[in-house]
Amino acid sequence: MNQKISKKDISKLLDELGKEFKVFSPSRESGVTTFAEWDGRDSSFLEWYRNTVISPKAQLQPLYEKMFSFHKDKEGYHLELPPPTDKKLIFGIRPCDAKALTIIDKTFQDTYQDPYYLDKRKNTLLVGLGCTNPYDSCFCTSLGLSPTQSSDVDLMLTDIGDEFLIEAVTDRGMKLIKKTSYLKEVTKTDEAKAEEARRQASSKVTRRLDTKDLAKRLLSSFDDQDFWEKVSNKCISCGICTLLCPTCYCFDISDELVKKEGSRFRSGDSCAFPVYTKMPMENPRLEKWRRVRQKVCHKYEFYPMSFEVIACSGCGRCIRLCPVNWDITQILASLPVKVKA
Amino acid sequence: MTNREAEQRLRDEAKSLLESAKVDYIVGFADGSLKFHTTPLITRNKDDVDHLVINPFMASNLAKFLTELEGRVGIVAKGCDSRSIVSLVQDNKVSREKVVIVGIPCRGMINLSKIEQLAGKESDEIDDITRQGDKVVVKLDGSEKEIPVKEVLFDHCLACELPTPKEYDLLIDEPIPATPDEEASQAKINKLEELSHHERWRFWQNEFSRCIRCYACRNVCPACYCQRCFVEEAEPQWILSIPKWQDNLIFQIIRNIHLAGRCTDCGECERACPVNIPLRSLSKEMYDLVGELFGFKSGMEIDAAPLLTHYELEEAEDFFR
Repeated sequence: MNQKISKKDISKLLDELGKEFKVFSPSRESGVTTFAEWDGRDSSFLEWYRNTVISPKAQLQPLYEKMFSFHKDKEGYHLELPPPTDKKLIFGIRPCDAKALTIIDKTFQDTYQDPYYLDKRKNTLLVGLGCTNPYDSCFCTSLGLSPTQSSDVDLMLTDIGDEFLIEAVTDRGMKLIKKTSYLKEVTKTDEAKAEEARRQASSKVTRRLDTKDLAKRLLSSFDDQDFWEKVSNKCISCGICTLLCPTCYCFDISDELVKKEGSRFRSGDSCAFPVYTKMPMENPRLEKWRRVRQKVCHKYEFYPMSFEVIACSGCGRCIRLCPVNWDITQILASLPVKVKA
Repeated sequence: MTNREAEQRLRDEAKSLLESAKVDYIVGFADGSLKFHTTPLITRNKDDVDHLVINPFMASNLAKFLTELEGRVGIVAKGCDSRSIVSLVQDNKVSREKVVIVGIPCRGMINLSKIEQLAGKESDEIDDITRQGDKVVVKLDGSEKEIPVKEVLFDHCLACELPTPKEYDLLIDEPIPATPDEEASQAKINKLEELSHHERWRFWQNEFSRCIRCYACRNVCPACYCQRCFVEEAEPQWILSIPKWQDNLIFQIIRNIHLAGRCTDCGECERACPVNIPLRSLSKEMYDLVGELFGFKSGMEIDAAPLLTHYELEEAEDFFR
């Protein structure tokens, strides 16, 4: 049975959850919209929050993180592992960003089980907040989800005016709300309001991406150099679309050394950078069009081949934040070869 | 000439440049896929030139593409873009004979972030933004709001010294005289200068903590043309590749030093930054310093010698000889 909570009580709820979890919520305190640790007072994000520039993926795969520290003394080298993961709760994650985590889980728990990501993932609860005001760059509905979808979170909130309808999606989510005292029973009217909110939100997502036979269409266009050159010519090869993408997960590893001690870090890397594929003798993706092709094909062709899901949840950050308005939906719509179903 | 007439003339000129094979490429602006955005149009196809536009949202500096394209290029250039082109010619990165500069007199570009702040809405929620002389009319939720244009232009546009290219092959409209408002342009920087050393250090620490090392600032910059940037050197490694604020700051400081005498104050670095780091507050300081120390303004005079790669036998410092 669904329940509801007054918007006024969200601060109190977060305070209460803060006793057990490190709570993260949308914030613009740092100068950019991101998920930051709940500071115990500022629930004003409920007024302005649409979607953050830095996606909540950063809580699970930070822009950079220490893998271990090391030092050398008379006895040799010593390693020090990072402290155990905190129990975290991400409050207000959007359905696209939550779906993105489900998508990249497949990579991090493939034949190699990545402890850095998976430890955080296991210890992080997701409280979703459905969109009421999607951006014009959003295209989640083309990827088979909706801006209010609850499938990838533990608890889902839907805006019904002065209150949020709360749906417990997982057992972990159920446990969360059992303890809290701010919830009220929902009425049939509330359920109807939520349904209307879901319908309205979906209708506001107007950007489209035709995913039918997309992998096949990409496969058959792979060698069309003219096409890839044309669609990549305005790309400036910066890392915005990849580093801020919630389904991009590539990282680089580097050491920081000071005399006899140091740390090993991993940090976000981007296939848009020529050095990404730099090797001693050659670089297979020195030309820009090859890098653009890699990015597009990885998401919409190679990833579905490996994991049966497109590595995109339609959050639109790559369109919205691009300095030259390079638009993936336009690029894919202009693929030259149409494959018969 | 009305805007529509200017646009039509631009399309006609671009088409004739391609048809007469005077150029291999046309580089200009087309409408973007987002509201109030343009996107670079780079084409060899004469049918594409009908997408060329002239409007107050042509923020990109297209000179960036000249160092990438092979062959002769017809490029749409605002005054600031023309300065970057001139600077590239002086640095021997671009051959003047291979570029046809199609000059566009410019009244300044609209900074959507400023509009969003004043309107309290993000740009995709705004119905319309039109420039009417010294005012910008913003239509929002059925009502209209007039804003003085100076409140919504990019900071670097407010200080513009060259609205109309001085170096051009074709000029699409009547030249516009320069009316720089240095004070308005410097407002953000002046506030920073009022801070104590310690406060300013804290400010930049906070700003550079957000940097994600996407290198958009470097990659949109026409003057950042190095094929191998120092940040990517592994031997020696000048800075760490992880986005620690200290390394982020050093990256930007070295970048600014490298751009002394090349930066034309086009403001692209700050516009491209996805995490809102006020990069022009650093680059404009360097720009002004170069002006003060050497009386040099990058890209203003085609015959000028490039600042830091040129010396005279009469130089006071004898280590040059």
